Amino acid sequence: MTRARLSALAWPLIAAVVGLIVSPAGSQQPRRGGSVTIALYQEPELLNPLIASQTAAFEVSIMTVEGLLRNGPDGRPIPQLAAEVPDQKNGGVSADGKTITYHLKPSVVWSDGQPMTCDDVKFTWQVLTTPKSGAIYTSGYDQIQAVDCPAPQTVVVRYKQLYAPFLSRFGAILPRHATGDPAEMTKWAYNRKPVGTGPFMVTEWASGDHITLVRNPRYRVKDQPYLDRVIVRIVPSREVGKQVIKTGDVDVVWDLIESDVPELKGASGVKISSAPGPSAERLVVNLADPSLDGPSPDIVGQHPHPILGDPRVREAIELGINKREITSKLLYGLASVGTNELHIGWAECDTPTSSYNPPRARALLQEAGWAPGPDGIRVARNARYATDGTRLRLKIQTTTGNKLREEAEQLIIQYMRAIGLEFYIENVPSPVLFGSWASGAFRKHGHFDVVMYTTNPDVDPQSQVEGYFASWKMPTAQNGGDGFNYARYASPQVDADVKKAASSTDLTIRRAAYCEAMHQIVADRPHIYLYNRASLSAYRDRLQGWVTNVWENLPWNAQAWWVTR
Amino acid sequence: MIRYLGRRLLQAIPLLLFVSAAVFFLINIVPGGPTAAYENNPRLTSEDIARIEAELGLNQPIYVRYLRWLGAVAHADWGYSLVTKRPVLVEIGERFPNTLYLIGIQYLVTLAIAVPAGTLSAVRRYSVFDHATTTVAFMGQSIPIFWFGLILIIVFHVTLRSPLTGLPLLPAGGMYTIGEPFSLADRIRHLILPVAMLTLANCAAIVRYVRASMIEVLHADYIRTARSKGASGRRVIWSHALKNAALPVVTIVALDLPVLFGGALFTETIFSWPGMGRLFYDSALRFDYALLMSIVMITAVLIVASNLAADVGYAYLDPRIRYG
Repeated sequence: MTRARLSALAWPLIAAVVGLIVSPAGSQQPRRGGSVTIALYQEPELLNPLIASQTAAFEVSIMTVEGLLRNGPDGRPIPQLAAEVPDQKNGGVSADGKTITYHLKPSVVWSDGQPMTCDDVKFTWQVLTTPKSGAIYTSGYDQIQAVDCPAPQTVVVRYKQLYAPFLSRFGAILPRHATGDPAEMTKWAYNRKPVGTGPFMVTEWASGDHITLVRNPRYRVKDQPYLDRVIVRIVPSREVGKQVIKTGDVDVVWDLIESDVPELKGASGVKISSAPGPSAERLVVNLADPSLDGPSPDIVGQHPHPILGDPRVREAIELGINKREITSKLLYGLASVGTNELHIGWAECDTPTSSYNPPRARALLQEAGWAPGPDGIRVARNARYATDGTRLRLKIQTTTGNKLREEAEQLIIQYMRAIGLEFYIENVPSPVLFGSWASGAFRKHGHFDVVMYTTNPDVDPQSQVEGYFASWKMPTAQNGGDGFNYARYASPQVDADVKKAASSTDLTIRRAAYCEAMHQIVADRPHIYLYNRASLSAYRDRLQGWVTNVWENLPWNAQAWWVTR
Repeated sequence: MIRYLGRRLLQAIPLLLFVSAAVFFLINIVPGGPTAAYENNPRLTSEDIARIEAELGLNQPIYVRYLRWLGAVAHADWGYSLVTKRPVLVEIGERFPNTLYLIGIQYLVTLAIAVPAGTLSAVRRYSVFDHATTTVAFMGQSIPIFWFGLILIIVFHVTLRSPLTGLPLLPAGGMYTIGEPFSLADRIRHLILPVAMLTLANCAAIVRYVRASMIEVLHADYIRTARSKGASGRRVIWSHALKNAALPVVTIVALDLPVLFGGALFTETIFSWPGMGRLFYDSALRFDYALLMSIVMITAVLIVASNLAADVGYAYLDPRIRYG
């Protein structure tokens, strides 16, 4: 059983246990009062989730700003301000899928006492569609025709056409009365002192030092939040973060990396929260001739990569990599072996883990017309695309200054040499690797053999699956470099699946379509998945009610946190 | 003197213009930018990124952006942070006092230790004290702060406990205990480790200057004269010699003054001190051009000013120097 599957089974169990603790019938009553300190490495730039860009901002704003729905630990939506998750059965989704009706929970008020109504949802939509408002994530909202308010607690969202990821929209609702002119959003006082419906409210922000949040006395759940206060302390050094959780100076340390864990595991009073996250480190393989500049799908078909264009070579590379050794040697066994893009979440798809089989890899290369040369590196002899005498030599690139990636590269080079393939390293700073089309970044323009990095799907995988694998998402001069299909992968099957998934509001139908695409992608190997990063944090054992949720920010259920002393 | 001052100030204008242009172009040709973080984000399309760039005014050619920035600054408008959206001067205004507080106290402590230590080293040249001082000074200068700072935290925060309360002996960072009322003792406790770290790192240079310049002065004729007139050894050293030996030290200290504004990045990072060094570093990481430019320019102005102050101070302290 893979880690991902284990966790999928374990989550409901953990949730049930937490439910027991929280319920009055449980043996341990949650205690009201007390304070918890969270250490963040970065300071939030501001707390308005519509204009924030860095994760740290969302780690804090989630305690104040709520949405219609939230993501549960399994990646499935759960109601937050809405009374239930709309679907066709409960009438929340119209027959044509274009009209979504949300019923708000009764008598929700903002922390300043004003009632929270449909008008606030409408306002949020207006802000997101105001030109030059400064809003970052606006996609989907421009697909909305209108937000209607037939009653204060009823929200009717009418999309122009069916918008499959609708459940992941409206994750932050802003109060009309406590904000300002949408066109002036960047100047709102709200940005540093948001008025929300969540369990805590910001009372103090000492620049560069800490943010203090106190209990929202008007929070809708009786007795919650249990804590009087949450302090977010900016501890810019990760190393120092590890020291101060040992002494109990802070209660939570955010975003650890694998190599931090052994030191903290032995520390008394410290618990480690580790769960497989959506991020997957992978090799992105260029299927097109790397000398071409941003080729479109029809050109890619005529000019495949001389070496990687042959699927047998790609298969040999995957079979030659000992993924399990990478996770155990470099990642302390905390990462799971990579399988496909959707290894967790509501669209989780089980594809078999590739086997480590160097003899088979060598046989595949032999069959593909790559015969061993004098120094053990293979040379083309009747290969499919490469001219005879071509050396089996490829460039591998990743970001500089990342020790883990550099070590993984070294292992991969050894594995590949063992099957007769030579990789040579040409690492670049991350802004160069992840540069834009306009800046001439080689990844966007297709001038590479293999690049290695991490990316992850959003809780709704549409943008990731379409962006990386739909044939129309190859960055070209014509589309202004849009899309992430750097592998320049074109599969009629995957294209059809992506379209199918985008044309339904039913998660079961969409999941089946994505899974079909995943099986095709795993067989074709435009990406070779190495390992899935774990989402790691540490917390003190005095903190109760902790529930790990890789789809939300760390204090997503801070209303249920309490402390024993 | 007035004419000299006026000429120096006029000379500073083209220099500052050059610095501003050079820095502006340099930070703009570094790969990446305020929207770089979005390039690997599947939730944003190229269109979204182009829209955000346009809203930040980054779609303009670089020289247009520079001239706009220059025009605004000429009208005392330092602009808004691209990331926090707050006025740049507000951002700086919240951090600068913290840096002034830490570095200012550190400077006083450093001088209080370095001047006597350097003087004694010079007087008792090649003694055990001299060797010990030189060794410690060099060690302090060479030890990496990010490593030694962490050691200090592990020793004084994690390992050692207060015998009275059982709590960590010293706090690991910050300026004060969050949520507690103001207390002088608490402030001092929070200062001990970062000030110790900075003093150790900065003492070396001043000790060496004081020592070298003292050795030179002790061989001067007037010192011999003072001695032969029967002045006590202590009086000769502390009142006759040190006064003149302090001259180059004044220069060093004056030239160092911009650090009071720029902060100390490593110390602030290790000891979670909300100062200017971290503000600058964070803005660099976030490609916050507006904030970066302001910090660099204010630092440049301070460097020019402190150079001028050093020269003027020199003339004041040493009557032999005349500017015309």
